[in-house]
Amino acid sequence: MHDEFDQQRMSSDAALAAALRALPAATPPRGGWERVAARVNRRRRVRNTLRIAVPAAFAAGIALAIGLPRLQPAPSPAPRAAQQAAPKHAPVTELDALREQSRRLQTWVQTLDRGGAPLNGGALASAVALQDRIGLVDLQLSAATDPATRTSLWQQRIDLLQRLGLLHLQQYAVADRTHATSDETTIL
Amino acid sequence: MKPYSSFQQHVEPELIARLRRRDLAAFERIYRQFERAAWTLALRLTGRVDVAQEVLQDSMLKAYEHAAQYRGDAPFSAWLRKLVVNEALMRLRRDRLHVFEVFDDTRADVDASEPWTRADAVTLDRALNRLPDTARAVLWLYHVEGCTHIEIAEQFGRTVSFSKSQLARATRRLREMLEPHAEVTTPCTMNSISSA
Repeated sequence: MHDEFDQQRMSSDAALAAALRALPAATPPRGGWERVAARVNRRRRVRNTLRIAVPAAFAAGIALAIGLPRLQPAPSPAPRAAQQAAPKHAPVTELDALREQSRRLQTWVQTLDRGGAPLNGGALASAVALQDRIGLVDLQLSAATDPATRTSLWQQRIDLLQRLGLLHLQQYAVADRTHATSDETTIL
Repeated sequence: MKPYSSFQQHVEPELIARLRRRDLAAFERIYRQFERAAWTLALRLTGRVDVAQEVLQDSMLKAYEHAAQYRGDAPFSAWLRKLVVNEALMRLRRDRLHVFEVFDDTRADVDASEPWTRADAVTLDRALNRLPDTARAVLWLYHVEGCTHIEIAEQFGRTVSFSKSQLARATRRLREMLEPHAEVTTPCTMNSISSA
């Protein structure tokens, strides 16, 4: 009885398997390869950009960390009269360095921006806010004449540009991770 | 892999070696060779064109980027098929396209009728698509891809009983949908009353 039941089931299973296997293969949508190739190329670009941008970000950070302390006016035992005369020269050097730092960061941010990693909603809002603040600093810089104020403003500008650059970098990482996350699932 | 799986295709070792070096032209050849098989499997497992499209692309990209991990101890086609199955099942879990239906009933289907032998391809295809996602995926993996219950259970992260019960359930549902008398059990509509 049991054997008969098993045989019956196996026969039914085989018939169902045959019927399912006989179903025609589905036709994939057109342009599949073009879409996959575009994704491969996009990921290559992101990786190449990261390969350049991350070391550049580190370099910028290190340069800032090393360079800034040197730019701070050194305590001087000079007489009061000499101290009053000195700021005319020292802040100019410091300002030049900060301006140069700001220029480099701006170029770096523009490179990242052109790199193509799109900003998502939250990041885009943050980027706009940072750009607004940079615009405000630029406005203040155009009116400021006091060297100390100008130094502070240039420093603020550098800080804001660094944050903007990091924001773009994060987007590169997110764009790459979006695909990488699924890549990391177990391969049987 | 059993011979009837559409994935059973030979791939030249030289082509695999080029893929491992991330040669895009080699990837294109492999993609085109397996596109139809991968698409059919993805579509059967997920039951949705949009999801199947993502599965196809993601699993192929994974094959390209992880080709170096292919050890060569099994046919390349089997490795690729596993990538597609993994991706499809992961998508089912992530998108919660299916709800696991738990059955305490793992007994085999005792009905001897075989309506699938009489159904045409379109009818069978339609009935297959009306099955719950899990049941359809298990049915396909078991009967077409030749997976064992143990393998299916592993892929779903469930027990062998789960696989067996899903298969029994799918078979029963399929039979119900394909049996002519299944139409009789549909509720009366105003049209059917007025035409009577």
